[in-house]
Amino acid sequence: MENKKISLGDRYAEITVALITIIALIGGWFYKSSVENSSVPFNVEGITAQAPKGWLQSEPSGDELLRTTDRSSSGYNTTYILRKIPIAADTSASQVASLLTLGHGQDLLAFRLLEQREVTVYGKTAYEISYVYVESNPNLTHKNIPSVVRGIDYIYMNSDNAVVVSFWADDRNFDIDLGRFHLFLQSIKY
Amino acid sequence: MTESKAVHERKHVWRNEFLLIISLVVFVGVVYALDGAIKPVFTTSTLLLTGVFLALVPAAIWLVFFYMQDRLEPEPKGYVVGVFALGALFAAAVGVPLIENVFRVSHWIYASTTATILGGILVVGFTQEFLKYAAVRYSIYHSDEFDEATDGVIYATAAGLGYATVLNIQFVVSNGGVDLGTGVIRMAIVALAQASFSGITGYFLGRAKFESEQIWWMPLGITLAAIFNGLFNWLRGLVSQTSVSLSNVAVNPWPGLAFAAIVAFATTGIVLWLVRRNLSMQAGK
Repeated sequence: MENKKISLGDRYAEITVALITIIALIGGWFYKSSVENSSVPFNVEGITAQAPKGWLQSEPSGDELLRTTDRSSSGYNTTYILRKIPIAADTSASQVASLLTLGHGQDLLAFRLLEQREVTVYGKTAYEISYVYVESNPNLTHKNIPSVVRGIDYIYMNSDNAVVVSFWADDRNFDIDLGRFHLFLQSIKY
Repeated sequence: MTESKAVHERKHVWRNEFLLIISLVVFVGVVYALDGAIKPVFTTSTLLLTGVFLALVPAAIWLVFFYMQDRLEPEPKGYVVGVFALGALFAAAVGVPLIENVFRVSHWIYASTTATILGGILVVGFTQEFLKYAAVRYSIYHSDEFDEATDGVIYATAAGLGYATVLNIQFVVSNGGVDLGTGVIRMAIVALAQASFSGITGYFLGRAKFESEQIWWMPLGITLAAIFNGLFNWLRGLVSQTSVSLSNVAVNPWPGLAFAAIVAFATTGIVLWLVRRNLSMQAGK
């Protein structure tokens, strides 16, 4: 049997297949972004935000107004926490940061402070604390290897309270998930 | 343009496809029964090795049938194995990293039914089907050994099984081994699905080479295979899911296997019917 020579039509068909695939992948990318960035409005105690849609959201308790967790992330589930801490009028952001650091040191396993500094985030002055800790299931029979978790707290001073926004993610997902967290951070109004 | 035609049907190709489906279901049954009866105890490394071995079985079954039956009109075995390896290589080097690391599909594809279907078609379907197409199109396709329309199905199936083997090995390695019973069912489902949808691409490839098809012919083939791929994954999830509670989703893999076997039979049957119809039309000309 004689084979057909590679014709111009074959070449065009080949290019069309590649183009169709690229168009499908670009469409998929836009759709992925729309799903990942979709949000639900959140409004508690005068603080509003756009929380990620489809994440597991806990009821407010104590000074914690929002705790939302991405159950589909690998390793430690990426978590955003929004807190409103009452403070005295003359308290500075660095003092709140010291209190938070002490609290993390007591609550979180192998806690290490990486950096703390004053920053401007989307036009608002904030105090940033970066840290790392180990998340380990307290059940001794649990076979999962503990996860290294990286965290960032942003402290915003607001007259008689401090608004603290925390981002916790598995060390492997931290940089990838940070962009989505910034959308959340940008949406916070108080 | 020189036009040539595939002249006969090569019945053993279809027999191999159907035997692969039946053998995989039997294989799953045997492993599942043995696992239940013997209750083997594995160390981490032996569990991993057993999983990797089981991941190779679907492709091995198909290749054994192929070697046994491809006597009258033999395809060069090296080429078949080469396309299988190329399918596996494309999966490991491009497909898995693109789907898992770039698109991070597992993070968003289960957000809603629309996300499962659209993500399954646009990202998973198109990536997998294009790479399997590429494994044939840029290797054997222009060779003189690709001398019949049915060769498209043979080589695309080889590429599909190569792709499935990598997916299964990746599943085993990322989980540090698998539960033999449910793990082997998943492997059979992946192999059946990849081989079936490759059959569609292979049919379109075969006709594209030997007939003067329109420019949209091959893109249509890839798109159809991608759509079937995406819909299959969504429907398999539906039939396998037995109950949903706040804390977890209960999954029974057996309906998924039955569904995969039915889809594989139906797809192979349809491709066989299309090839026969095409041959009879050519004979009538």
